[in-house]
Amino acid sequence: MTRGHRTFHRLVWPVLALIVALGFTMALVKRPPPEPPTQSEPAK
Amino acid sequence: MSAGFSAVQWNRRKLIYDGILIAGVVLFIGTFMTLGALRNPPADMPAWINLRIKAFGTCAFVMLTIVLTIGPLARLSPRFLPLLYNRRHFGVLTFLVALVHAYSVVDWFAVQGATADLMNEMVASPGYGKFIGFPIKALGLFGLTVLFLLAATSHDFWLAFLTPRIWKTLHMALYVAYGVLVMHVALGLMQENRRIFIPIFLGGSFALVALLHIAAAWREREAAQEHDRWLVVGAPDSIPEKTARIVTAPDGERIAVFRDGNQIGALTNLCAHQNGPLGEGCIVNGLVTCPWHGYQYRLEDGCAPPPFTEKLATYRVRLRDGVIEVDPNALPPGTKAAIHIGPA
Repeated sequence: MTRGHRTFHRLVWPVLALIVALGFTMALVKRPPPEPPTQSEPAK
Repeated sequence: MSAGFSAVQWNRRKLIYDGILIAGVVLFIGTFMTLGALRNPPADMPAWINLRIKAFGTCAFVMLTIVLTIGPLARLSPRFLPLLYNRRHFGVLTFLVALVHAYSVVDWFAVQGATADLMNEMVASPGYGKFIGFPIKALGLFGLTVLFLLAATSHDFWLAFLTPRIWKTLHMALYVAYGVLVMHVALGLMQENRRIFIPIFLGGSFALVALLHIAAAWREREAAQEHDRWLVVGAPDSIPEKTARIVTAPDGERIAVFRDGNQIGALTNLCAHQNGPLGEGCIVNGLVTCPWHGYQYRLEDGCAPPPFTEKLATYRVRLRDGVIEVDPNALPPGTKAAIHIGPA
């Protein structure tokens, strides 16, 4: 890896990592709520 | 100067590496499918294919995560260098596993006669304007395309044809593919399945890759700042006989410091042939030998032996208080700079 590649790598990596981390967090927060449990027959 | 050339340089270490790799993949997928079938027995063909999709998809993601951790691990500790040695085969196998995953998705639609639904989802989905609901198969296809490009250009022919600079830049796209594939899982499986294991596995894998890269960069920066001019390499004995220790100059340039008996010399870590990692090679017949294609150089002055004409930049070396130090300012290629330190 030459100096130019390394500089490019060091600039791009944090930006990409932040975008993915933000996307992952949003996907986690916006997950649909779990299905409500189906009501069972009331005991007689 | 090359010690010899062959199209694919197979050797025992590479065969062992590939053998372990293939056995690991077979074991992972076999275990995943067996446990999945025992836990939730598939009722029909689509259910079986669904299990196959998950097994190969998970395996490909794990492999991709490992591929991306090898580089920083090797920079943090030389113990991981054997993993770096044949990383390209690891990458190609990752693509093949991902390809089976993608084929299984098509198969899942095909066995139900719903191939048109898959096409609609890919090209005309209203989800393209949404975040949750974005067509994850398009993300997967993008990731697979990048993996294909990298696998197809992994051979040394492409390295020479594209030039090392362009080849390396192209292969940096693996990081983009990884980011897209994290989102492929986050917007796909993680939305369908509420089990806590999935976000922990996905977020943990991503965090592992990110933290290892940060740790490796931090380590190199610290090492470079330790001494304002001469870089400390260590005691002569800390450089394994006929191999090198790699130190990083403040400007980020890597320097390979070799020991051959009582002779110690420092060369740039970049081979003059294709920028191969010279410091990961060793000394063969008194000549520093690049691990990629066997190009060879004299340790004392960085020159390839006659009739070859390649020359490497060398660095001044000194022994101070029993410690080898190297001047991070490169000397003109071919300058004599190695020292003799007495009986080693």
